[in-house]
Order: sequence, then C-alpha cells, then structure tokens
Amino acid sequence: MRLSKSLLVAALASAFALPAAAQQITGAGATFPAPVYAKWGEAAKAAIGIELNYQAIGSGGGQNQIFNRTVDFGASDAPVDADKLVANKLLQFPAVMGAVVPIINLPGIGADQVKLTGDLIAQIYLGKVTKWNDPKIVALNAGVTLPNLAIAPVYRADGSGTTFVFTSYLSVANADWKSGIGAGSSVKWAAGNGAKGNDGVAATVRQVKGGIGYVENAYATQNKLTTTQLRNKAGNFVKPTLAAFSEAAASGDWKGAKNYAVDLIDTAGASSWPIVSATFILLPTDPKDPARSANVMKFFDWAYKNGADIAKGLEYIALPTAVQDAVRASWKSDIKG
Amino acid sequence: MSATLSHRGPARDAVVANALSRRRQRVNFLVEALCLLATFVGLAFLALILATLLYLGFSGLSASVFTTITKPPGSHGGLLNAIIGSLIQTALGTAIGTPIGLLVGTYLSEYARGSLLGEAVRFVSDVLLSAPSILIGLFVYTVMVSPFGGFSGWAGAVALAVIVIPIVVRTTEDMLRLIPVALREAAVALGAPKWKSIVFICYRAALDGIATGVLLAIARIAGETAPLLFTSLGNLNWSLSLTQPMSSLPVTIYQYAGSAFDDWVQLAWVGALLITFGVLALNVLARIVLRPRT
Repeated sequence: MRLSKSLLVAALASAFALPAAAQQITGAGATFPAPVYAKWGEAAKAAIGIELNYQAIGSGGGQNQIFNRTVDFGASDAPVDADKLVANKLLQFPAVMGAVVPIINLPGIGADQVKLTGDLIAQIYLGKVTKWNDPKIVALNAGVTLPNLAIAPVYRADGSGTTFVFTSYLSVANADWKSGIGAGSSVKWAAGNGAKGNDGVAATVRQVKGGIGYVENAYATQNKLTTTQLRNKAGNFVKPTLAAFSEAAASGDWKGAKNYAVDLIDTAGASSWPIVSATFILLPTDPKDPARSANVMKFFDWAYKNGADIAKGLEYIALPTAVQDAVRASWKSDIKG
Repeated sequence: MSATLSHRGPARDAVVANALSRRRQRVNFLVEALCLLATFVGLAFLALILATLLYLGFSGLSASVFTTITKPPGSHGGLLNAIIGSLIQTALGTAIGTPIGLLVGTYLSEYARGSLLGEAVRFVSDVLLSAPSILIGLFVYTVMVSPFGGFSGWAGAVALAVIVIPIVVRTTEDMLRLIPVALREAAVALGAPKWKSIVFICYRAALDGIATGVLLAIARIAGETAPLLFTSLGNLNWSLSLTQPMSSLPVTIYQYAGSAFDDWVQLAWVGALLITFGVLALNVLARIVLRPRT
C-alpha cells in the first residue's frame, strides 16, 4: 500500500515537473527515419521547447495523413509526384539521408564477406538465380565457400519506402527488372516470400537458411544482421559503412532535382554505397494553423543546425549546408505565414 | 461384428454383456484420454504464453517504467504517458458507452419484446459485437479525425465507446430477461409505474450481472490496439490534452515490439505484462462481483 502510494506520488511529481508550456507538433509517416526523428525530438525539447510527436506509420500513411491534414507534417521516403504536391498544396523538403542494405543468412558466413551486384540481386529476386553456388555468384566470391543451398528471397509485404528505394536500385541495375517489375512502394514480386515491416524481413531471413532480404541500415546494425558488399557504379566492391553512405550522399545532384527529389541511387563516387536515399517531409503551403507549421520549420531548422552528430550516431547522413539553405529559402517563399 | 444383447437381457447372456461392457470401457478410456490431451495442449499454450510474459516482463520491470515517459531508444524511457493515456481513454470510453448500452439493453428487454424494431436493434447490436475493431477505428477516423483535422484523445475514447456499447447491450438485456415476470407483476400490483419497476426492482435485481458486463467491456477495450491506431495515434510526449494525439499502452506495445532496439522491445514486454495483470484483475473483480450473495 505504502509502495503504491509512493509510486503514485513519484508519478505525479514527475508529471508536473515536465515543462507544461512546451509547444507540440505532430508528424506521421516513414519508419526509415523514425529513430533519428525521435532523438532529434528529445534534444530539441530541451533546447528550443518544441515537443515533436512523430508516429512511424509508414510512408504511404504519412502521405495520406498530410493529404487529409490530420497531422502537422507528413514524412515519406518516396518523393511525392510534382502534380500531387501541387494538388494537395504541399512543400516537400528533405530531412536526412540513409542507406538500405542487403542481409543474408548463410551458415558459417559473416558480415560483408559475400560480394554481390545489383544485377545479381535483381536476378535473384526475378527467380533466375536460385542457388547460392550459382556460377555467377561464385565468380564474384573467390575464397568464399558458398553452399549448395536454395536462395530464399524475402521482401516487404506492406507498402514501404524501403521497398521503393531498393526496387529503384534494382531498376537501375537490371533492364529486365526495370521493364518487368519497376520501382515502387509495393511491386509485383516475381519470386520469394513477403514479410511485414523491417522486423518481419529480418526475422524471416534469420530463420531461413539461404535467405536474402533488404532492410534499413540502422536495423541491420542494431540487430547485427549479416550484410553483404555491393559493387558500385565505379566498379568497386564496398562495405555498408557510414563513410560509403556519406560519399554517395555528397555526390547527389541537388540543383537538378525538382522538389528536392534527388536521386542518390548508384552514384558515381569511387567508394559510394549504391543504395542511398533521402527521406522527405511534407508541409502544407496553406497551413490552417500557421503557428504549428512555424514550429515544424523551427524544429527542422534546429535539426539542420544541431542534429548532424545525432544523425551520424545512428548512421544517417545530414544534408549538405547548401541544401539546408535552399530549404530555408523555400520555407520563406512557399509557406504562407 | 458388434456385440449386442439378445432379447433375453444381460442376466441370461453374461458373455455378450461382458464383451459390450469391455468395449464401452475401452471407448470411454480412449475418449477420456483425448479430452485430457486436448485440455493439456490448451493449458500448455496458456502456460507458455504466461511464462514468457512473466519472464520477459518482470526482467524489465522497474520504478522508472511508472515514473518516466516514453523516450527514444537508448535514453532509458518508461511508459508513464502510455499508462495514463490508456487509463484516460478507457475510462472515457466506458463513461460514454455504458449509459448508451444500458438504455438500449433496457429498451430491448422491457419495451421491445417481440417488436420488429427490437429485433432489428438486437441484430445490429450483435453484428457490432463481432465487428472487427479495426473497422470501428476506421469509422471514427472518417467521422471524427478527418473532419476535425486531427488525431485526438477524444477520437480514441469514442472508438472504445463504440466497442463498449454492444457488450453492455447484450449483458444488460440478458440479465434483465432473467428477472422473473412475477417480480415485475408484483411491482405493478403495488401501483408502481413501469419506470419505477425497472429502475428500483429490475436494475436492483440484475445489478451484479450488469456490473459484470461493464467490467468485461473495460477488460476488452483496455487491450485494444486497432481502434486507437487511427484515432488517438499515439504521443511520444507528456500530454493530457484530449484534443491532441494521446499515447496508449497497446499502441506503444505495437510500435515497440517490432522495433530494432532492445530497450524498446523490453518495454513492450513490460507493457504487455501490465495490461495482462490489469485485465486479469478486472476479470477476478468481475467474478467476485458476480458471486452469489449468501
């Protein structure tokens, strides 16, 4: 009785100790950047008194919610089409960049030992390469003993920004993929099995010997999943490291990108990781509550200035300064105050 | 093939009777064994679930779970805002749904016996009782969240109330129907108007059963995730405002259990443990309330 009473007192005390005057903003969307938004939110609350409530409901959900204006901002990994942005009166700007990595499950094989190419992964997901000791894989992996094991491809069954990024890469790497299946948040897969969410893909790959899947990099790092090397545009095999992600991010053509929908897939840098993407924020240009929209901009302004280290700690890449300034200019010109 | 008794009866045909008896005993033994096996399989799953829950839930249980709010991975967060949010929305949902359910149940039992409208209302209520809760969430999203332009604690409470209503309707009607007609006739014979006989005679006699129905409804909504996903959304921060998105235990569990971070997964188990114990306590309470008074 006494214990529960003291717990209650403690709960109430901590409840009232929190700043009551903090301003709340609500965002919803992509799961891919959710960890970094959560960390930014915690730091920004202390620094500038804005409380971010970010709910990771998926990129498609984030787009729909901001179309319906049920949240202050939406978040999406896949950029929204230009005409849709106009029709829904939205400004799209990038928040942060991150990478997608392939994960595999082969007995006795550790992280980044196996080398793969985008073309080969596309053939695996097309059902054309079905064994781990296929000559095409063996040719890339001298010195690694690949077992005579069936390849079990795993894909996201739910609509996902990660799938959009991954299939964009396969479309660049393989002409058959581009013409037959293409890029999208959910596509008509030719081979393999579906699993829900990054956790579902990871769990399935972990359980099935010979499995291959793709997840957000933060997910692979946190769960110590077996990643692979990939061959980039320059022809070099690279490991999924922050340095390789950063090089890819730096070589993006931001100036030529409309609505900041920059293409960071298979960029030219010598040690660039080939599957890198920006993730986007969608903000109404005609906010019904300008004060809340102003707080959203204040939050991301703070995150651009002070959030790079937090992003790095979670293996995301902050935007180049020039892009940050361009976004700030867009806020001024496009959002009605 | 089968041993059957002759018309002379068992006493005169001992051999056949014995064979029949043995066969019956064998069948009886077999069926009993199968029943026991089925019971053990069912209980084993329940025991496994509970054991996993206790093992993983208690290992993460600490005072900070109740004193700190949800935080980003690695920042030693708790579940305070989720617990309070769940309590608020469950209480509001019950407060909105119970009176409506009670009145509808009374109407069905006392006023609409045999009427076509009554049959229709009962049918709709039963359909609602088995409607997937995600549909209820979607419904409230369409009528409340979308038009009013935002997720809110109110929307979550209304979605839960919609689940409460048919449960309370059903139990109220069933409990009132159990009351003997003679009791009502006695009230009328003493000159009591109908409303008095319902409120002071029938409600009083059926109070235990109705209260149990309400408790079971609370136990049901306390663990609902689907109706809250589209309505109260969830909130990472401390907020008691009903016009803002509100946190809740089931939604937090849903998000944390599938996350990449060990401390979040651990908190999801703690949350599951809290809900399980809360619902268990309600069920025990319902049993005690329902116990016949001596």
